[in-house]
Amino acid sequence: MNKQLIHNIPLNQRDSKKIFVFVVVFFTLLILSLVYLKISFIEMLVGLPSFVMFFFENFFPPSVENLQQYIPAMVETLGYAVISTYISTIIAFIFGILISENTNKIKSLRVITRGFVSILRNIPFIIWGALLVYIFGIGGIVGVLALILVTIGFLSKSYAESIDEISGDKLEALRANGSSYFQILFHGVIPQFVPSWINWTLFAFEINVRASAVLGIVGAGGIGVLIDTNINLFKYGEAITIIAVFVIIILLTEFVTNSIRKRFV
Amino acid sequence: MKPLLSIKNLVKVYGKETRALNGITLDFFPGEFIVIIGPSGAGKSTFIRSINRLVDPTKGEIIFDGQHMEKLSGRKLRKERSKIGMIFQHYNLVGRTNVIKNVLHGQLSNIPLYKSLLGLYHHEDKKEAVELLKKVGLEDQIYKRADELSGGQMQRVGICRAILQRPKLLLADEPIASLDPLSANIVMQQLHTISQEKKLTCIVNLHQVDYAKKYATRIIEIKKGLVVFDGAPSQLTDSIIKDIYEGKESQMKLKGESETHFVEKRQPKQLAVGQNNE
Repeated sequence: MNKQLIHNIPLNQRDSKKIFVFVVVFFTLLILSLVYLKISFIEMLVGLPSFVMFFFENFFPPSVENLQQYIPAMVETLGYAVISTYISTIIAFIFGILISENTNKIKSLRVITRGFVSILRNIPFIIWGALLVYIFGIGGIVGVLALILVTIGFLSKSYAESIDEISGDKLEALRANGSSYFQILFHGVIPQFVPSWINWTLFAFEINVRASAVLGIVGAGGIGVLIDTNINLFKYGEAITIIAVFVIIILLTEFVTNSIRKRFV
Repeated sequence: MKPLLSIKNLVKVYGKETRALNGITLDFFPGEFIVIIGPSGAGKSTFIRSINRLVDPTKGEIIFDGQHMEKLSGRKLRKERSKIGMIFQHYNLVGRTNVIKNVLHGQLSNIPLYKSLLGLYHHEDKKEAVELLKKVGLEDQIYKRADELSGGQMQRVGICRAILQRPKLLLADEPIASLDPLSANIVMQQLHTISQEKKLTCIVNLHQVDYAKKYATRIIEIKKGLVVFDGAPSQLTDSIIKDIYEGKESQMKLKGESETHFVEKRQPKQLAVGQNNE
């Protein structure tokens, strides 16, 4: 090895020009978007104090007079999350089995299911909500349905990935001793799948609690409706109380789901 | 004597090019303890998996207990499979299920789904499961989860599961390749004792020649998908062994070299494509 090489050892084999090109491309994208949308950071910064002022002047002090009236809406919101997670976990489990190569050897069926699930997942739930409001009118059923559709999409894919991760070795033993498909499913796949099943389902529940609040804003019932109405009526003090209560509910949900996780997974 | 298992001109080609088995013809007779040896990638795993159709052969006949295995499918295949017990290199237990349930999995093919879900196995099966576990020294681990056991213990559970099928034929694919020498010894010994007691025909893949010589009634050597030796252990001379492991000498012995061949086992390059699902 000659001396020059010893003194100049590159740490990467990669071409440094490539990285440079990437940086330039991403930066140009940012600049172009800002210019096209006429967004100025200066305006944002200048506007910040007045936003903060508006927030503190109008939203404070929180009004706690009607606290008791919010309770039904809170329960309603949690109810939506519970029901939609419940129903979707059952349907998503079936889809998950149909999508995973470990449990479904029929390729066409896998592709069709995956496509269907991907449509469910890729339409945001707020759009499902808006669509379903046209069909069913304002009310709880819309919220639950929208949540179910998106959660099925999300959970089916996650379940399928977890089922894929179960090593084929374990199922091979059951295959070798003459067990039927459903026996392999129930005695080989499901026991190994339980931890991820609990994990994903709790995660979906957390998402659904948050989402069910947003759904209210498109008129799909629950606590979102209260927040929306109060802001529209300039009752900011009440709105901030509802938001605070809602945040507490979300934190409590996370606390509960985390302790369930620790215990069972 | 009528053979229990007859293999005729068995060929397996993976993809288009990889010929794992190149036309193997063998007869296996009741009561034999056959050890198949050969370097990794020789086709041992493919061969043993073709017998119970975990691998579908490309060509050839497999006649087990009067049935053409290669022609069976669905319920009939499952029924024949239930007569063949199998032990795996990686034990293949269901880790989150407890030991006795894993052993009882050996009887799944004999009871309907709802009964297995409710745990309604026959009393004799449960009794035998416990007896088998006692025999291999695991009576204190019966209700432990399978993934809490050590490798040697897991393999002993694997043996119990296979025996509970009350099989006519026992297949073992590298049963001790993932174990330390001490556990390997125990597992081999118990496998041998139990199969003798139950008068089982046993086909064991190994790549340790010394174990093969110790336990086998007949040794078969496979190299590049072909049978290159078939005879009594006493006929297996050192020069034959050397020839077969040419260039792969490190795989021959277990003692003091278990680390080396363990590492080599894990190198997928030496295996035919898809051979071990690894």
